[in-house]
Amino acid sequence: MKHRDRVLMALNHEIPDRCPMQVSFTPEFASLITKELLIAGDSLHNPHGGGNTYELERALDQDLLLTSVGWANSYYQEADSYIDEWGIGWKSAQYSTPYGVGRYTEIDQHPLADERLIDSYQAPDPNRPELYHEAEWVLRTFKDEYWIVGVTVTTMFECAWGLRGYERMLSDFALNPELAQRLLDIPYRYHLAAAKKLTQMGVDMIWIGDDVGGQNSMIISPTMWRKFLKPLVANFIAELKSINPQVKVAYHSDGSIYPIIPDLIEIGLDVLNPIQPASMDPLRLKQDFGDKLCFWGSIDEQHTLPFGSTADVQSEVQTRLKTLGKNGGLILGPTHHVQLDTPMENFRAMIDTITHSHYPTY
Amino acid sequence: MNEIIATLYNAIMEGDVTGAQNGVKAALDAGLEPGSILADGMIAAMKEVGRLFEEGDYFVPEMLIAARAMQSGLAILKPHLVSSNVKAAGKVAIGTIKGDLHDIGKNLVALMLEGAGFEIIDLGVDVAPDKFVNAITTNGVDIVAFSALLTTTMPNMKNTIEAIKKAGLRDKVKIMIGGAPVTQAYADQIGADGFASDASRAVSLAMSLV
Repeated sequence: MKHRDRVLMALNHEIPDRCPMQVSFTPEFASLITKELLIAGDSLHNPHGGGNTYELERALDQDLLLTSVGWANSYYQEADSYIDEWGIGWKSAQYSTPYGVGRYTEIDQHPLADERLIDSYQAPDPNRPELYHEAEWVLRTFKDEYWIVGVTVTTMFECAWGLRGYERMLSDFALNPELAQRLLDIPYRYHLAAAKKLTQMGVDMIWIGDDVGGQNSMIISPTMWRKFLKPLVANFIAELKSINPQVKVAYHSDGSIYPIIPDLIEIGLDVLNPIQPASMDPLRLKQDFGDKLCFWGSIDEQHTLPFGSTADVQSEVQTRLKTLGKNGGLILGPTHHVQLDTPMENFRAMIDTITHSHYPTY
Repeated sequence: MNEIIATLYNAIMEGDVTGAQNGVKAALDAGLEPGSILADGMIAAMKEVGRLFEEGDYFVPEMLIAARAMQSGLAILKPHLVSSNVKAAGKVAIGTIKGDLHDIGKNLVALMLEGAGFEIIDLGVDVAPDKFVNAITTNGVDIVAFSALLTTTMPNMKNTIEAIKKAGLRDKVKIMIGGAPVTQAYADQIGADGFASDASRAVSLAMSLV
């Protein structure tokens, strides 16, 4: 079965030959797998991670290929400190694991920390042709076989907090709503332009999102989300569907966002990512929303992959196939980039179990 | 509740920085005891903020602005607390663990603890084990609190506890931990005295530890 048909069947709530899979990595973990599989991949592309190459993804038998335009590409741009094209400053933070040393890029300068600068702020231009060369190549080369995803995550809230600073942005929601809305509009306009262009070019799915969930509850209230973000997300989805009614839209938020899932379904969302199982119960999600929504992710990166056994990983994949994957509606993969703290045997157990398991019979 | 105290209490609940500062000044001008201003106007308001957070009525923005308002009022009140010999509920050294720069949770915990009457020594982010050790030896803290957002930095919590043990200070302090991947089971495993899942519960935990 072609990779793209496998994804399409699952998203149509049908049962393909196996569950579709999408996996991303941090650069250091990607480098370990690259050595192990003897893959000479050089087409780095992944948002946030900088670890995925199309060669690596295809060698692992993944079904979705991603191409990204937007602020998420600011992660991992340089080894040391840098300022991205939005004027947001980054620095590198190193960490050690039993399997080697890695680093994250972390935001440390916010161009709109002083709110008076918003009047003169110029966002980057989303219409530069070079931003879309990779997407053109990916579509031309792989669309016949693979499900192509245009990525414009960190769509509004996350990019706005990068511009403004996290605590300032959260305070603005409560104390200065007009400013908060103006801040959100900046990345919203950019990423909408990019997502529309990618949709016109023929991607199968657009992936948007912002982390509005904490570990146990939402960061901002559902009421605040409905006031500030829901109208923007609703319009975003509507604009894409008006260009191509067949295009699917996926939404990412870490953590627990249970109260706003009915809202997301109401405004036309197709797929929810990443389904962090320590934050939201996958079984309950399937029972409550499984007929209206598909799920993407769900293999735990907070406990099972880094700290569990291979048997724990295999068992979690099988459990997801039985629950979230019942009657299709699931793309399996880790909830986040696989990091260096994940033992290679756990990573292999995840990939092998996903790619070699049939859906259980009910 | 005294009307001046009620105004201060409401200003904090609403995250009104100027209102909180004016509330403290008005209460001092009216001759109210600094200890009562703190307990009835400020700690009481932050306790209610914590309750509303736990019940799902307040979220991070509401908690954050209330805590900032409290903090700005407290800056005015502090010299008066010192001169009238009002003691803190305890002294807490707090920071994110070595390698971890994510501090929104740590900041909220520090603010909420301050709002509960604790004295806070904020060691910031990416705090090396020896900095926690120094804070214990030089500041005489009652509690050391650290957080991790990432699974890759979480193991440094164990290393930090080991460093505190090695310095012979383990029985001098209580250790509390938190952060997204952290659980009670992990706290037990590494020998921490407590775990809290959010800033409000961290206050109850700290109260129970001193």
